[in-house]
Amino acid sequence: MSDQSKQQTALQRLGAKFTKTLLLISAVLFVGDFFIHRHGYSALEESFMFPAVFGFLAFLFIVQVGKWLRFAIMRKEDYYDD
Amino acid sequence: MTSLPPGLIMILAAALLPFIPHVWRQIYMIGAIVASAYGLTIGAGTHFVWSVLGYELILYKADHLSLPFAIIFHIAAALNVIYSWHDRNWQQHCASLSYAGAAIAALHAGDFVSLFVWWETTAVTSVFLILASNTERARSAAMRYLVFQVTSGVILLAGAAILASSTGNIEFTRMQLDSLASWLIFIAFGIKAAFPFLNGWLQDAYPEATATGTVALSAFTTKLAIYALARSFPGTELLIWIGAAMTALPVFFAVIENDLRRVLAFSLNNQLGFMVVAVGVGSELAINGAAAHAFVHILYKALLFMSMGAVLHQVGTVKASELGGLYRKMPFTMVCCIIGAMSISAFPLFSGFVAKSLTMSALGDTGMMWAYFVLLFASAGVLEHSGIKIPYFAFFAHDSKHETGEAPVGMRVAMGIAAFLCVTIGVFPSLLYDILPYAVDYHPYDAAHVSSQMQLLIFAMLAFVVLIRLRLYPPEIPSVVLNSDWFYRRLFPAIGSPFLRAVMLVWGSFLCQTRGYITAFQHILDRVMHSPIAGPTVSGRAVLIQGGLLSLLLLLLYVAA
Repeated sequence: MSDQSKQQTALQRLGAKFTKTLLLISAVLFVGDFFIHRHGYSALEESFMFPAVFGFLAFLFIVQVGKWLRFAIMRKEDYYDD
Repeated sequence: MTSLPPGLIMILAAALLPFIPHVWRQIYMIGAIVASAYGLTIGAGTHFVWSVLGYELILYKADHLSLPFAIIFHIAAALNVIYSWHDRNWQQHCASLSYAGAAIAALHAGDFVSLFVWWETTAVTSVFLILASNTERARSAAMRYLVFQVTSGVILLAGAAILASSTGNIEFTRMQLDSLASWLIFIAFGIKAAFPFLNGWLQDAYPEATATGTVALSAFTTKLAIYALARSFPGTELLIWIGAAMTALPVFFAVIENDLRRVLAFSLNNQLGFMVVAVGVGSELAINGAAAHAFVHILYKALLFMSMGAVLHQVGTVKASELGGLYRKMPFTMVCCIIGAMSISAFPLFSGFVAKSLTMSALGDTGMMWAYFVLLFASAGVLEHSGIKIPYFAFFAHDSKHETGEAPVGMRVAMGIAAFLCVTIGVFPSLLYDILPYAVDYHPYDAAHVSSQMQLLIFAMLAFVVLIRLRLYPPEIPSVVLNSDWFYRRLFPAIGSPFLRAVMLVWGSFLCQTRGYITAFQHILDRVMHSPIAGPTVSGRAVLIQGGLLSLLLLLLYVAA
């Protein structure tokens, strides 16, 4: 196996480990939400797993709007050079 | 008791830098910063007043609001000296030391005229950090930067002048948005605080500065503006609207920007939004939030800029499309970058968490839920661009095959100190709370608060993992992203140049016409000179014209008499 693909595999393994850790923490947070009363400034905020849902959707929304924005405001690297 | 204003000593010290050899120069600069910081120990009060032309210029006034800013400005200045330890040229050191000095002096200005002087000094000293990149692109960005900074100063001076003539009082203190003067001052602050549509200079110029220069730039100018807003316009509701827009809008630009230092500049703009909202709320808790946020922000933003500066120094680029897989080659930089990323994303036990909580609580107390949710949304945005994108594309993603090693020792030491401070403040928030403007009885670490924040961050990160696994995350593309600077770099020239061309055409033909008349007049003069009716010939046209004018004067005096 070349150095190249070794490095690539190492990165993939790291990614898999990262994903597993994230899933573990989210499971803990999910269970925790049954026991912890999160006090918020509105009823919506206190609903079950609200920050999690909000964070997940906000992230997807930001990335999606970013993709659309590319059509409008992305230019070639030399756009301002003349 | 009188004392020199802090910061002034740094500006004076900067004048000697060219004459001190390398390494000693760095030690000397640290000495100047320590001497300036020692000046803070004199405590609150007015310590230096200069009477000029009937006005009292207050050059050194310290209080509970200026203190946290003064402390962090000194720390940032010192970190910058350490970070640029390897740089043997005096020019940049001179610029950054006097820039930091001017910003610190501005914090202690007690009136708008002395504020104006330091306000402009920060502009003219900092521009050299951009020029030092020595590229054509940097040169033109530096000129655009200077135009904005100086304009901000001129508007501030105009506001101060109107204030002086209408009220006779130029004290730098709380004011209402109810007069032309206060609006002008508000706009001057707004330019430096990078309000929406006045922010083009920030994302345009900061990423063009040198690896070390951007670190210095990121600390002072914008936070000085936040301080000025907190002093003059606390509780101005308009600021909540402006700040909310500042937190949300740059988020979308940062997703698609390819230059990682420019991503950080967008992120800087978003962070300023949190502080502007806090100033707009204006309660004691909120002003504490603004000051605390500015304090920790300077540290973690400098840390992030330092880590990207280290990458730039080692690899020669910070374009996401050309980076990746550096985690094995620059492990220390990677760890520091991740600490900065977790701090700015406000993970519990990191500095961002203990500061942002203050602002969010203060905002929640006002009952303005729309603004609260915008800031919550922007928090997910911070995680996206600064928390994930920066470390992911620089150090992981795919292997970019760059052969390189760790950055110079000075860079690593500075990053290490900043990272240490980020964690220390996160773990022991009372260290920060003790120096805030108002007494704090606030406990960020309760189960509810921690679990809310962790849910937001962890599930947003899960969204990232999902997008990456499904290959839906937008790939990095070599490109530029248009920002508000497009208006004056492309739109205005496109409209303005045909108009200017028409004006020049008319002016040109007018000049042609007049030139014809002038030549005819000269011909007449020459004829008179060379063939006078009587007497000697005149030696030149000028003498003839003078003679003519004197005769005319004599004639007029006769008539008048």
